[in-house]
Amino acid sequence: MRERSKGYGIFLVPGFILLVIVIGIPFLMSLSVSFTKWTGVGKPEFVGLANYRSALADPIFWASFRNNLQLIFAITVIPTFIGLLLSVFLFDYVSDTLGTHTVNFFRTAYYLPQVLPVAIAGIVWGWILNPKQGALNSLLKLFGLGGLAQNWLGNPATALNSVMMIMIWFQIGYPLIIFMAGLQRVDPQVIEAAEVDGANWYQKFRIYVYMIRPELLVVVLTSMIYSLKLFSQIYVLTRGGPGTATMVPSYFAYQNFFEKTRVGYGSTVAMIMTVIIVILEVIFITCQSKMTDEGEY
Amino acid sequence: MKKGFILTLALSLALLSAFAQGQQEKGQQEKTKFTIWHYESANGAMGASWAEAMKQFQAKHPEVEIVYENKGFEQIRQTASMILNSDEAPDVMEYNKGNATAGMLSKQGLLTDLSEQAATYGWDKKLSPSLQTTCRYNSEGTMGSGKWYGVTNYGEYVMVYYNNDMFKKYNIPIPTTFAEMESAMAAFKAQGIIPLAMAGAEYPSQHLFYELALAKADRKMVNAYELYQGDFDFHNAAFTYAANKMVEWVKKGYIDKDCISLKAEDMGLQFTNGTAPIMVSGSWWYGRFANEITNFKWSIGLFPGNKLSPGSSGNIWVVPTKSKNKELAYDFINITLQPDVQALMGNAGGIPVAADISQIKDEKIKELINLFGKLNEEDGLAFYPDWPAAGFYDGLVSNLQNLLLGSQTVDQVLDSLNKAYQEGK
Amino acid sequence: MHAQTKKKRITGKILTLILLTLIMVLMVFPFVVIITNSFKTAPDFAKNGPLTLPQPWSLQAIITFWTRVNYGQKLWNSFSISFSVAILAVLLSLLNSFALGIGKIKGTVGFLIVFVIANTLPQEVLVYPLYYMAKLVGLYDHQLSVIIIFTVIQSAFGTYLLSSAFQAFPRQLLEAATVDGCSKRQLLVKIVAPVSSSTLSVLFVFFFLWTWNEFFIPLVMLVSNAHQTVPIAISVTQGQHNMDMTAASASAFLGILPCIIFFVLFQRTLTKGITAGAIK
Repeated sequence: MRERSKGYGIFLVPGFILLVIVIGIPFLMSLSVSFTKWTGVGKPEFVGLANYRSALADPIFWASFRNNLQLIFAITVIPTFIGLLLSVFLFDYVSDTLGTHTVNFFRTAYYLPQVLPVAIAGIVWGWILNPKQGALNSLLKLFGLGGLAQNWLGNPATALNSVMMIMIWFQIGYPLIIFMAGLQRVDPQVIEAAEVDGANWYQKFRIYVYMIRPELLVVVLTSMIYSLKLFSQIYVLTRGGPGTATMVPSYFAYQNFFEKTRVGYGSTVAMIMTVIIVILEVIFITCQSKMTDEGEY
Repeated sequence: MKKGFILTLALSLALLSAFAQGQQEKGQQEKTKFTIWHYESANGAMGASWAEAMKQFQAKHPEVEIVYENKGFEQIRQTASMILNSDEAPDVMEYNKGNATAGMLSKQGLLTDLSEQAATYGWDKKLSPSLQTTCRYNSEGTMGSGKWYGVTNYGEYVMVYYNNDMFKKYNIPIPTTFAEMESAMAAFKAQGIIPLAMAGAEYPSQHLFYELALAKADRKMVNAYELYQGDFDFHNAAFTYAANKMVEWVKKGYIDKDCISLKAEDMGLQFTNGTAPIMVSGSWWYGRFANEITNFKWSIGLFPGNKLSPGSSGNIWVVPTKSKNKELAYDFINITLQPDVQALMGNAGGIPVAADISQIKDEKIKELINLFGKLNEEDGLAFYPDWPAAGFYDGLVSNLQNLLLGSQTVDQVLDSLNKAYQEGK
Repeated sequence: MHAQTKKKRITGKILTLILLTLIMVLMVFPFVVIITNSFKTAPDFAKNGPLTLPQPWSLQAIITFWTRVNYGQKLWNSFSISFSVAILAVLLSLLNSFALGIGKIKGTVGFLIVFVIANTLPQEVLVYPLYYMAKLVGLYDHQLSVIIIFTVIQSAFGTYLLSSAFQAFPRQLLEAATVDGCSKRQLLVKIVAPVSSSTLSVLFVFFFLWTWNEFFIPLVMLVSNAHQTVPIAISVTQGQHNMDMTAASASAFLGILPCIIFFVLFQRTLTKGITAGAIK
């Protein structure tokens, strides 16, 4: 049912030109730098594929990717799932029983973590997770669970999990807002019809989820990309430590870019990540297009 | 559609202001503008003395308009080479000393050579040879020799802070030798107190590590390590001793293993809130403690038994190559080294390098400055462990975390450190 | 029977409220920590640490920070940049998505992929080339450079989200309108934009907040203090060796407040959607 209409192309022109200038050119420049050895000032020295070979053999690089996969779970899967549940809950049940003002209030509260500057969030979480005097361990001791008290960010075994927990806290607001906006589009008559037919909450939930499929796909893809790019939280919370327990590719690239001034190598790491992200995107968006073609609206 | 109108209005206003900010500056071009940047806090010792320097400078050059900007350290750290490579470079600015920072910029041709001025104004006489190390960089960007690229105003060093009240409470004498230090720590531990405030996620662990190594080192090793004057390997006696000592202190409970995720600020808190009676860290805490510690007596001392300690000149004034008022910049730098300006810095809790000690009023500050003077005269300033190699700071942090945690042996850690050092220098 | 369902209703309400509040406490706790520390004095913090209530309550940290960085100016800078970006990026996204999601022009999938890539490039990759280009055109240290860059970056996301939403756009509306002789422009302005207003509002809110909190690119592009934004001002509290904690908290508090105000003001637009009843 694809209609190829003419005349729509013109609307794309300004956006695309700007894209090429602001993103395309830097991308190409960075690509060429990745084939060089450079400190950021002066002349780059062409080294061909040497950087790529080093990167693929670098154990820190691979450690960072492994960590990233776990983070994808924490940033994409769990918050999206919680976001779905919460958004439908708020939209359907809570707005009926407690009113839209209550819904708005809680929605604002749940989105707040996304508003907090990451640097500050990092400091505060550092205080909360402080092994001796932090709020979390103090609370555990209060409830007699002192045995569970840990050095959350300092123990390599728990560091990544602690970061994951913080990321879930941080991320929930994002799908929540998008899903709730999407739920506005749902035709209430469909829901009413289902209720009349005696649907329970689970079946209603499935209907809602089906109706906001586009938003769901967008959230999944963008969260995945965000988790692959994750940087500031790691920078502020653990600097990739202890050891390499929480190292991620973009922090590794950053270290090379700015701290070690191995700009060529840093570009290489960034390029490899970009390639992986692009492959994911291509798969995702192509599937998404096929799916929406088949859907009926 | 009213909403649309309001939105458009707001947007135009916003864009207009963004545009206007560019035009406005092009308009005012009558007076010579002299831009000064630094990133010390305005009411700290350095900030106060430099404010006085600016006042004197203005009095001397009434036709010049001083444009002073207090920068954030993060911005300078991350974007200095970009800014200095553009027309937005200031006329004179504070910058970090060391190969990785000033050395790098000088190598990139972004800093003006100040050798001639150093001779004319007499800076080379005012600053001891030890302090000059961080002001001069050769063509490789290594400090210690070569042209003058920066001028320092103050010093900094690592020493030990003691919580006198806690020592008194448990009848433990303030240590004067290394043995006394260890027995003091044992005594505190026996009382169930972890004696050493420490943080493993930032610089404190590497400063302690270096301090311990320096107990068994000499100037020759320091020069090999920092200035590449000779061979250096982490497996030498000094650093092996240091690594083993740290592991030993963790085992004995003098250092809390849980500290590896703590930041420097957390360490400071441990000292100020009375959790730990001993803190090995830098003179940059001094002013803060003087202001913030109100409920116990504290004192300082050089690390017992060491002739060498981490320390160096403070940050340096540099004149960017693209500075538009170089003569004025030289004059300003000279003013900052004048005895009265330096004395002001001392009286505000800083460590001046060219002040008359008799002009310092507070006894405690005198002690701070005297200890530095002692280190300086005996050529005991050993710089900092992360200087020799680019990005070494992170390498030190993560390797020492492994050491303190016990997840790697001393040998493994020294191996890893050595590798990073050789690659990065 | 009546009384029973009523009782069930009330317990349901109470339970729901409790659950929602518990979640809220979890989400909001760090903010409370920040706010309390903004009102602490430095000696109090040095003695008692971050997790106690201030003794005494003091405005000193907030006032000192405000004057130190000339916060009013930073607020205005951040606002003018974020607001401009939000509006321009929404417009751009709308234009792009109109072509891709409604018009379904040839190569839509390819274009979408390109747009999403734009949003995924790590900023370190972009920064050096953008710095050189900005110097070239004289926009270095100029807010316009930041506005242009972020308009593009945010609209890349917006294009993706909006075209996805458009792919679910009710076709009958479009057909009905075209049959009535609507031009493409009218289609966009009179039908597509209003119907998708809830998504447009989401984009507007996101873009404003995301741009407001951007740190790295403004740090590189905006050199003079007078041009800088709130996040850069906040970073000033992190010195080379020290971080003044009460100042950092005060700066965070002042930094978040405008965002919260903005969100509270604009979130009503998030709930205004045109229901499907409009189709009829």
